[in-house]
Amino acid sequence: MTSRASTKYTRNAIWFVAGGLLLFVWVIPLIWAVIVSLKSESEVLAYPPSIFFEPTLQNYRDALFGGVSILPSLGTSMIVSTATTVLTIVIAVPAAYAFARLNLRGKKWLGFYTLATQMVPPVGLVIPYFLILNKVGWLDSYQGMVTVYLTFSLPFAIWLLVSYMEDIPWEMEEAAFLDKANRFQTLWYVILPQVRGGIAVTVIFIFLNAWNEFLFAVQLGGNTVRPVTVAMYNFVSVEQTLWAKLSAAALVAMVPMIIIGIAAQKQIVKGLTVGAVKGGGRR
Amino acid sequence: MNQASDNRGRVTLRGIRKSFGSFEALKGVDLDIEAVEFFALLGPSGSGKTTTLRVLAGLETPDEGVMTLDDADVTYAQPGERDVAMVFQNYALYPHMTLEANIGFPLKMDGVPKDQIPGLVREAAAKVKIDHLLHRRPGQLSGGQQQRCALARAIVRQPRLFLLDEPLSNLDAQLRLETRVELKKLQRSLDVTTVYVTHDQEEAMTIADRMAVFLDGNIAQVGTPEEVFNTPRNVDVAAFIGSPPMNILKGHLDGTKVSIGDYAFNLPAAVARSPGEVVVGIRPSHIAIAQEGLPASLYLSENLGESMLLNFDVGDQLVKVRLPEVCRFADNETVRLKFDPGHVHLFDPQSGTRID
Repeated sequence: MTSRASTKYTRNAIWFVAGGLLLFVWVIPLIWAVIVSLKSESEVLAYPPSIFFEPTLQNYRDALFGGVSILPSLGTSMIVSTATTVLTIVIAVPAAYAFARLNLRGKKWLGFYTLATQMVPPVGLVIPYFLILNKVGWLDSYQGMVTVYLTFSLPFAIWLLVSYMEDIPWEMEEAAFLDKANRFQTLWYVILPQVRGGIAVTVIFIFLNAWNEFLFAVQLGGNTVRPVTVAMYNFVSVEQTLWAKLSAAALVAMVPMIIIGIAAQKQIVKGLTVGAVKGGGRR
Repeated sequence: MNQASDNRGRVTLRGIRKSFGSFEALKGVDLDIEAVEFFALLGPSGSGKTTTLRVLAGLETPDEGVMTLDDADVTYAQPGERDVAMVFQNYALYPHMTLEANIGFPLKMDGVPKDQIPGLVREAAAKVKIDHLLHRRPGQLSGGQQQRCALARAIVRQPRLFLLDEPLSNLDAQLRLETRVELKKLQRSLDVTTVYVTHDQEEAMTIADRMAVFLDGNIAQVGTPEEVFNTPRNVDVAAFIGSPPMNILKGHLDGTKVSIGDYAFNLPAAVARSPGEVVVGIRPSHIAIAQEGLPASLYLSENLGESMLLNFDVGDQLVKVRLPEVCRFADNETVRLKFDPGHVHLFDPQSGTRID
């Protein structure tokens, strides 16, 4: 008994140390960014680096309210990411339901086509997208940026949601049909509440991707639509890089993502813990 | 909300065929179910009973044939248009809703005024004794309670037709016996035509007013449990019904005289058939051990507590005998089996149909 308990203890300790090491490696850049953001620009470049310094919030003040404030860009990123996420969910939910449940002609090919769009490297799409948007006059516009983001968020969201919907037992839906619900009511009252967790996961992924996107933003945006990922480059120029302000801006840009992550976490857990049908359903 | 009346829920199926790919699940099913009847669809796995139930529900559209419900053709009607309710084998409760919302869901979809729903839900829940659990979710209930919730959801809007797909199969043996009795009581009090799918013949025999025996995509026999048990229409039904089922032996018929090997006995009445080969069927409880009779050696004896089930080697086949009291036999002991001539069934060796 004792030896088994001690083996278990040792094993737990090993896991704990290994996990801690991994976490440490992952979290180091973040800690470094926090430290840099609290230093003055001269302290950042001091050699050897100072461990003890007087922390200042001046960089945050400059990044948010200074001459090259990122606040308008945060607003732009919020609009683009929110619009992309909302439109993606509105279109992807019924599409995923159709893929999961309906007997559509050519469903297999349509599914492959949807997936195939994910296989094209984004850099190969920049120039075609630029030409298309230029032609329709949507360069440096919200509708242009959101449309481009939809082209890669939609296939991803559809495929993620299909897997969640396929996990719901058919009987659940058949029961709803017999209870006189039509297809839309079945989707709304029976299917959607059960894939809440999947939708939460999808929302996070889509929002995160749109928020972090740089390549298309820098090529297809401009002065009107300048997301925060592009705006941060105001602190990087040929003559100098303002590391402290850049770090402060980067950390501020992370805040919405962290909030959304925490908010959605509850939904994800909830979505994973429901389940009543024996031998089926997401528990 | 229609009140149940005595003449609701008459079903006819005519020439129903249904295939899934190359598998022919139903090969031309004809069936009449009377109003307010408790009707069982009995058969082994893959015999077509569940497919038939799904056709009744509208969840499967037949490839051929016609279904009517109260004289209206509903062959192609959607499930929601038929006013039928179903209890699924796995209950299919909505896991994210409380019991109250689960039971109230069909009412909500049916457009019942909001203020009437709680009362009707409570009434239905009380009938299956779960009215104290209404605030819980399905995941917080035992299997038996979930099953009751599924029943309540089905009866709450008083459907024309009440369909049950092996509703007791997920319950433990004790609970199954209790629920069986309650189901029958419930059906009587509701006066709703009920179609019940089961592979458990004891369940079908005890619960149903009439039953259909499904074998290999066809209905082999329709009748009351007594008719099916006492006068099986063919060898296949005879070999399926009964626990254990009937012994089937090769024999010879001449007038009233039936002989199996060297053993012969006389039937109580003559059979209108020229002398020749027949298939003899006899239930294990209609065989006795006697001084004279068919020689048999004991292969295995099974003590069932209240009775004894003996397996005898007779020639190249096993004959099962059920004795009303427990007694001891030595292995390989040779005895003589005497058949009760009044309970012998004869079948045609070619077609398998019953000879009366």
